[in-house]
Amino acid sequence: MAQETVPFGVLFSVDGPYGDVSRSMLNGALLAVSEWNDSDHPAIKLAPVIGNPAGDLSQYNALCRDMLAQGLQHVVGCYTSSSRKEIIPQFEKADALLWYPTHYEGFECSANVIYTGAVANQHLLPLADHMLEHHGRTAFCVGSNYIWAWENNRILRERLAMSHGRVVAERYFPIGESDFAQVIEAILKARPAFVFNTLIGVSSYCFLRDLRATCTARDIDQPRVIPVASCTLSEPELEAIGEVAADGHITASVYFSTVAAPENDRFVAAYAAQYPSGPVVCADAEAAYIAVRLLALSLVEANGRTDVDAIKRAVTQVRLHAPQGLVRVDPDTLHAALTPRIGRSRKDMRFDILAEAPMPVRPDPYLIWNSPRFWTAGSPPALRVAV
Amino acid sequence: MTNTRLVQNFRGQRGVLLAGPGMAVETLQACLTRLGMTLVRLGDVDPAALDAQRDILLLDGDAPLDAGPACGLLRRAPAIGLVGVEAPSRLKALMDLGVTAFLRKPVHASAVYAALFLAVNGYNRVRGLECALAEHESRKRGRRALVKAVVQLMQTTGIGDDEAYDVLRRESMRRRISIEDYAGQLIAAPDAVHTSTDQKQRA
Repeated sequence: MAQETVPFGVLFSVDGPYGDVSRSMLNGALLAVSEWNDSDHPAIKLAPVIGNPAGDLSQYNALCRDMLAQGLQHVVGCYTSSSRKEIIPQFEKADALLWYPTHYEGFECSANVIYTGAVANQHLLPLADHMLEHHGRTAFCVGSNYIWAWENNRILRERLAMSHGRVVAERYFPIGESDFAQVIEAILKARPAFVFNTLIGVSSYCFLRDLRATCTARDIDQPRVIPVASCTLSEPELEAIGEVAADGHITASVYFSTVAAPENDRFVAAYAAQYPSGPVVCADAEAAYIAVRLLALSLVEANGRTDVDAIKRAVTQVRLHAPQGLVRVDPDTLHAALTPRIGRSRKDMRFDILAEAPMPVRPDPYLIWNSPRFWTAGSPPALRVAV
Repeated sequence: MTNTRLVQNFRGQRGVLLAGPGMAVETLQACLTRLGMTLVRLGDVDPAALDAQRDILLLDGDAPLDAGPACGLLRRAPAIGLVGVEAPSRLKALMDLGVTAFLRKPVHASAVYAALFLAVNGYNRVRGLECALAEHESRKRGRRALVKAVVQLMQTTGIGDDEAYDVLRRESMRRRISIEDYAGQLIAAPDAVHTSTDQKQRA
């Protein structure tokens, strides 16, 4: 049987404000490539073409244009929603497929995107329910000033309102902001049941470090008294935060490196062997790994066809036994069914898994099964300040 | 009473399409299905049975829209205009049918939820404002009766205008009707409705 090499794009900002997370994603994608090419699938080999936009939206556009001009029909990439939104028109124009491998806020179903990360009913809603049950009904929201934070905070407001709780304040900061003294004072004054953190990258690490330091100086047991919850915190980020402030944070994710499954043990070992100097394996790496595995399996399923229609049909037929468990792609929405989990970070930069769904949860990107007919989120509280 | 509760989830609603037979509906159909909706053609439903709580019209601006008694019925439901030719005549025809949102043809998946959101909530807001306006108009018409009733009370009981107004307001609240309606009843049949006021005044 003739062997076909399928080139595909890999587009992650390994430099810039969310470089750490993007490096994990690149690693996950490349691990999937090397595993696939070393395995006994003689029909198809994967040839990644790597681009690094360094967090610059114009670079996303330029690199993407180059990749599509080269004739690539598939690109695995993007972390932020703004970067995804920026390049989707190019994929629609060229009728190519973007494999978007990270959690996001939902409310999108492009016919030219396969979404392998979690949406709100797979991350935020399980988190909100966990925090309501175990920590209380008031939240203080701190986030990076873009759609991920805005929309997640709206969904949280809605969920809390339905449980007679409330968001006491929302504060937004530019991506890369590192001065959080003022908002930490506001949090300590408001004393919410928990803080909901939608900061990304270095901002998140600075905030968690400074919050812990301030609480420690005032003899406050921060993880117990004012726990911080998020849908993004991952193992490499715990290392970036540092040992003093890494523990006690609650995170919703479809994957933790501590998932107890043989497939995950193999994945963690393979990842550590390929990237001995780190960063350590995490949900973002697994999501990118899943995206590439799904692409490869779909290429096989499509019997040599690489065009978008054939691959979109094929991807809904394959079943992937991923490190997190069974993953499949929903034909209606092209989003993945994934297994939500709640974890609490430890000092050794790993997570204890506090809860997990018994089976993969179907994606609901427009929350048609998970939100009321009428808007119940109210308005952002008066303390909302865009710095 | 205005109903401006914002609708954010359209599950269970029905798209009702008025378009020529040549219009490709695959993308629209797929998008609505994804949002938990169904799609039917206007020709397959009774326009008189359109329900603003359930139905959302999708009106093709390139199809004939401006004839027939059914056009009036179409204003019973929120409407999205499907715009191909951007000529003012077609845009006006859509506006005349109460369209509060547009989708460009060919329909693009990423625009459908936003168009539904604007169409339904814009429709509800406009209907709410129309109801509020009708109520204000009705009350404005009733002010003449109110002035007459104040004068009548002042003449029959010898009280001042402020006090007469307070009496009318109190009595209308007790009867749970608007002050204008109560004033209208008072001047139409002063003896019938005046008794309790007189008694209170004497007390």
